[in-house]
Formats: sequence, C-alpha cells, structure tokens
Amino acid sequence: MGSIEGLMSGFQVALSLQGILFVFIGVFVGTFIGMMPGLGPISAIAIMIPITYSMDPAIALMMMAGVYYGAVFGGSSSSILLNAPGVAGTVATAFDGYPMAQQGKAGKALAIAAIASFIGGTVSVVLLMLFSPLLSSIAVSFGPVEYFALMLLGLTAIASLSDGSTLKAFISATLGIIVVTIGIDGQTGTARFTFENAYLLEGIDFLIIALGLFALAEVCTLIFNRNEAADKEKNEKIGSLKLTKEDVKEIKGPITRQSFLGFIIGVLPGAGATIASFIAYITEKKIAKKPEEFGKGSVKGLAAPEAANNAATSGAFVPLLSLGIPGSGTTAVMLGAFLVLGIQPGPLLVQDNPEVFWGIIASMYIGNVFLLILNLPLIPYISKVLTIPRPMLISLVITFSMVGVYALSFSTFDLYLLLIFGIVGFLMRIFSFPAAPFILAFILGGMMEQALRQTLTISDGSLSIFVERPIGLTLMIVAVLVMTVPLFKKKSWNPAKKKTDAA
Amino acid sequence: MNKRFCLYMIACAVVILSACSGKDVAGVYGENGWSPNNPIEVVAAAGAGGGWDTTARLATQTFEKEGIIKERMPVINKPGGGGAVGWAYMTRKEGNPHNIFVTSPPILLVPLNGQSKYGYEDFTPLANVIADYGAFAVSADAKWDTLNDLFDDMKKDPSSVSIVGVSSPGSMDHIQFIKIARAAGVDVTKIKYVSDQDGGALTQLLNGSVDVYSAGTSETVEQVRAGKIKVLGITAPERLEGETLEDFPTAVEQGIDETFVNWRGFFGPAGMDEQQIQYYQDKFKQLNDSPEWKKIREKYGWNELYMDGEEYEQFLDEQNEEMYAILEELKLLR
Repeated sequence: MGSIEGLMSGFQVALSLQGILFVFIGVFVGTFIGMMPGLGPISAIAIMIPITYSMDPAIALMMMAGVYYGAVFGGSSSSILLNAPGVAGTVATAFDGYPMAQQGKAGKALAIAAIASFIGGTVSVVLLMLFSPLLSSIAVSFGPVEYFALMLLGLTAIASLSDGSTLKAFISATLGIIVVTIGIDGQTGTARFTFENAYLLEGIDFLIIALGLFALAEVCTLIFNRNEAADKEKNEKIGSLKLTKEDVKEIKGPITRQSFLGFIIGVLPGAGATIASFIAYITEKKIAKKPEEFGKGSVKGLAAPEAANNAATSGAFVPLLSLGIPGSGTTAVMLGAFLVLGIQPGPLLVQDNPEVFWGIIASMYIGNVFLLILNLPLIPYISKVLTIPRPMLISLVITFSMVGVYALSFSTFDLYLLLIFGIVGFLMRIFSFPAAPFILAFILGGMMEQALRQTLTISDGSLSIFVERPIGLTLMIVAVLVMTVPLFKKKSWNPAKKKTDAA
Repeated sequence: MNKRFCLYMIACAVVILSACSGKDVAGVYGENGWSPNNPIEVVAAAGAGGGWDTTARLATQTFEKEGIIKERMPVINKPGGGGAVGWAYMTRKEGNPHNIFVTSPPILLVPLNGQSKYGYEDFTPLANVIADYGAFAVSADAKWDTLNDLFDDMKKDPSSVSIVGVSSPGSMDHIQFIKIARAAGVDVTKIKYVSDQDGGALTQLLNGSVDVYSAGTSETVEQVRAGKIKVLGITAPERLEGETLEDFPTAVEQGIDETFVNWRGFFGPAGMDEQQIQYYQDKFKQLNDSPEWKKIREKYGWNELYMDGEEYEQFLDEQNEEMYAILEELKLLR
C-alpha cells in the first residue's frame, strides 16, 4: 500500500463518526489534564488506558495519541500563567512565557503558544507521514557515542541560559549534575548518595525539581514581596490575543526552523520533547539579533520551544510505530497501551495493521486542528486564572504542585523533596543563581554520564571510539566550536564595547 | 451559616473515617475456611505498564470477571528502587490478609545486590502463575549462528563481545546471560555488560554499538519477523509454542545444560495463617485453570508455570541459592 493510499484509508477511519468523537475526547482530556500544573502526558495516558480495554484498537490508539499530544499542547498554559510547568517539555516555555504574562500580555503569550504548537504539530505529522520508514534508520543510528556528543552539545548552552554571571550559571549546572547522580547507578548497580533510603534508589524525578525550582520558588517570591502592590495591578491584565504584524514576522522564522529541528530530535529515542524544547530555545537565542531580549518576554523565545516540543511529540512516534522502541517514559506507557490492545508496534506494523498506523497519522491532522479550535477561544477564560486573588492563587499553585508530585509514585517522601527544592530554588533566586542551567544539567547530565560510561565499556576504555563514528565526531566538533568561538569573538568585541560604554 | 456548614462537613468526615477504620480487616472464618470481607489490595511494586503491573491488572480483572473472587481487587502501583519501595510498603502490612503483591526474580536479585532490606523470606509466597524466558539476540548479519559459535569466541576472549540489556547489572537481563555463559564455560567475570535503561538497548544492537541483546523472548519477536535480528538461543527448558517463538532454539538443545526462568507469582505479607494461605492457593489454582486466563497467557506470550505450597517455597530457595552463587562470582554480592 502506497503512502497516499494508506493515508486515505487512515482518514477513512479517523473521519468516521466514532473516529472524530474519540479523537476529540482524547485531545480534550489530554489538553485539560496537561493544563493542570504537575500533571503531564504520562498521568493522562495512564488514566485513559483502562477505558480502552474493550475498544476497537485503531480508534483506541487514535484517542490515546490524542491524549498524548493534547497534554503537551495544553501543558504550556500553566508554564505561562503560573511559572509551574506541568510537563518537562514546557519548562523552556516558562522562560519567556511567564515574563510575558507578568507584563500583562498573557493573552498574546497563550495565543502564540497555541499557534506555535499547532504549526509544530502539523509540520511534524507531515514529516511523520512522508518519512517515517526512512527516519527509523536515523532513530537507530544514535548509539552511546552519538548521545554523549549530543548531550555535550546541549550542555554548551549553559552559559547562554544565564542573564548575569556565567560563573553562577556553571555553579547552578554543577549542582544539577550532582543531584542527578543520586540513586542506583545504571552501569554498576551501586547506590549513590541514597543514605540507605529506599525512596532515593530510583533517583529524583524531574518533575519534583521543575516544580520546586520554578513553581514553589515563584510562590515564595510572591509571598516575600507581597507588600509591593504595584506589580499586582499589571499582573492581572490579560491583554489582547491579537498578534501584530511585527509579532508574526518575529515568530515566523523560529516556528518554521524549530518545527523541523524539534521533529528530528523527537525521533531520537531518549531525547524527546524536553531536550527538543531546550535546544530550540538555545539555538534561537544564539542566532537572534537581540539575544538580550530572551528571558524577558521575547516572543521568539516563547514560540521556539512550543513549536519544538509539539513537533518532537510526533517525532517520538517514529521509533514507537516503526521500530517498537519507546523513546521516553511517556511513549513507554503508550507502548503498554498498544500491547494491552494486542497491537505490536514495530517494523511490521504498516503491513499487519495498516489501519492502526495510518489511522493514527491521519487522526493527528484532525487532532491538531481540534486543539487549535479548542484552545484559542478558551484563552480568555484560562487567563482568568491571573485575576484570582493572590493568596488564593498561591495556595492553588502549591496544591497542584503537591498533587502532581504525589501522583508520581504516591509517596509522601516526594513531597518533602519538593519542599526542599522549593527552598533551594528560592535561595537561588535571592542570590541570583539562574535555575535554568540546573534543570538543563539535570536532564542532560544524567544521560551524558550513562552514555559516556556505556561507550567506555564497549571500547574497553579506549577514547579513540569518539573519533571513529562520523555523526558523533561531527556533533563533538560543533560542541567544541560553540564553546570556543565566543571566546575569540569576545576579545575582538570587548574594546569596542568598552568604547561605547565610556561614551 | 458558612461556619456551621464547615463544622457539619468535618463532623461527617470524622464519622465516615471512624467507620472505615473501625471495620474488621481480619476477614471471616466460616465452614469452608477463611474468606475476605474487604477489597483485596494488589500491589505492583513498579509503575503502570510494566510486567508486574500488567500481570496484576490482568489477574485481578480475570478474578472479578470470572467471579472467582467476589471482593473488589484494586491494583495499586508502588514504584521505586526496582521493587524495594513496594516491598518496604508490604512489610508494614504484616498480618493483613487483604494485601497481596505480584513479584518475580528481582525479589531475589535486588536484596542480594544490597538494594533492598527485605527479600522473599520476609513474605508469604502464595502461588506462582506464569513464566517467561530470556532470549539472546544478535544482528541478522552477525557471524554467529548458534550459541556455541558465540561462546567459543567468548571463551577465547570474553571481553571481545559486548552485551546490552535493559536492567541494571546484577539484575535479570545481565544474570540470565551470565548463567548460560557460565554453564558453557565462559569466564563470566570478564563479560562486558552495558545497561541501557532509557529504552535504547534494542537500538544499540540494531546500530551495531553492541553485539548481543539480552531480553525477554517476546521483546525479540517483532524484530526477528522483520529480519533485522536473529535469536541464537533462549533460556527455556524446551521450545516455546507460538508463531516465530517456536523457531527459537533452547540453550539446552545446543548442549548447554542450563536454564533461566523469569517466574511471576503472588506473595502475601508475613504472618498469614494456614487458612488464609489455603484460600489464595485455591483461588490462584482456579485462575490458572480458567479458559479466560489461558487466552490472556496466549495473547501476551506467557507460559503456564503453576506452583504453590511447599513446591513453590523449595523452588524459591533453589533459585535464591543459584543467584547467590552467580552474584558472588561476579562480586556483585552486597
């Protein structure tokens, strides 16, 4: 069956009354759960699995896919409005989205997020449809060497994630790497920094860190500055949803670029939406004409990670559908959903169950349109969150953060950890240490360490393996260039800069 | 008004809570022995979607659907520490017959690795229901066609071959390979094992980063059917049933007299009495013999392996001794 023919049959399933209904239910539930701070696609999918038991597999999986990308779509709201990322993939969204909301442009920020998500999602579905079989070879081309190089490249961005002191950014990143080593070491099975505590054996979940360092630290700051009535007033404004011509011009580039880049990163097992959104943010900052605007409410800085994380979500379906390899925790739960329904994703899925394969792809077109129509009109209502009186809003954020963390593994121990990281995050703010490098190092550092040690086990400790593989070598060279080029640039820049400063 | 309403609600809550905690949790003893009078909580000491979780959910579903057990059987997930968190939770349920959990070889391996304070001896084994076996796969164009080809190379130089698995060193994917390789005469202390817990294990085999993929049999089927990998041997005592699965040769038929069973059964907390144990054994036996459960076994590629009572306890003791010996040789014992 050709792609076009297959897609047509897929649309037949997806556009049936049942198909439309369940895709709608899927994206609705997904986007709703995604909006809750602390609840992400994993919880959303896990909640929905029992409902699918007696359903037709194709329809059920279309719904589950809808839950998945719907949750990523909706996740941006809590990042933008409350600085409480509900999904790891929307942490980068908060960097510029939250400042925009504080400047009274919440409506616009949510609109940009929705549009960027829609375009990212749609572009990547087209890519998924056209290149899925081809891309599966890219997905398996990444071994430990390549992952190590990719993570190294990602870590070079630490310096660019700080507004002020680069030194403080590196200290923050080092803390992130220290925290990620807690738990059972993957390569030896040794427990590291667990102090005989069974709850620490599995390491600390990303969500605890994200909600602690961002949401709770923000809440602390709000309480601390509660007497500054001035900023309360501007905070409540939602502003117009309409984008100006300049806005459109600004975000056109980032959205297009990051839709493609995000998709490709999403295809790599293990990388996923989180890394895609960070890399999107960083590359846009690097190539922007005014990088100093990033972190202070730049529309580019908001659009880039939003396009990327949604594109990566579709990208993650490539290894899942065409190889049967789950690339992330969420797709692992998705794989579980497939197996429960008696569908084995893998190289033979297109032949054995074409209606499932093409049905999911076709449903994603429809689902993304649903999400846009569903989310845009809701923006004025969602942003009403900001008009909630401050004391109530603070308690709501705390409640949602705690519920989200508790839902991870139903242990109260995680709540104490959340509290600790909330305090750490608050202290970091007071002493102006940026939190973003901490998160970035936490995500990338753990994977980098494991990849490095896997590589060295395979090569018997020889370092030459790093230059033997072309993709890995290329990434490594780019990483070194990214680190060193600014050093040379600075030297030639500095005198000029000093002159202008003096003048 | 509002205040009064609040007080009213609190009063209601107190009444409901006290009613709950006041309920007798010991079950009832009748002519036919013990039977439960509360919902039976089934713990899966891992997250949703994994092997333990699937087994627990499908078993409880079958119990309820077939009417074997009349009480509700909610499954709760207690993930963390490769099972350690869930087991610690179960030790706090000592003597409460309304709590059971699903488990498998990690309850032997994880304590031996020093990652859990509690092991199988701290609980009451009720019944084993199913078994899965390990498979060793290599790339379709690899130079080895049988386990002996592979092990002959490894006998010359054990570190010339790298093995990848999902579990951490000292856990299932690692130990099942070690057990078979050891029986074939390979120096297992020099084996290079790479653990990839982020879903990249199969990828590493497909792109040639590593040579051998040690996994459960069902995880290899799809790639074998697609012609990307070949299975050199499985750890079952005899060939399995089912399409593709029946083509996998066992280690035993290749002259390596060793097996590895990924058994899966249900345990209760410590301090259960004879009648309570008897109750669960009867129910699991009924489950095992039901046609509905047979269908599920076939759908998921699980093999029947029913054991209870003394037979099960003896089996666990033997397994534990074997694991102890292997981990001691690998210096992974803590």
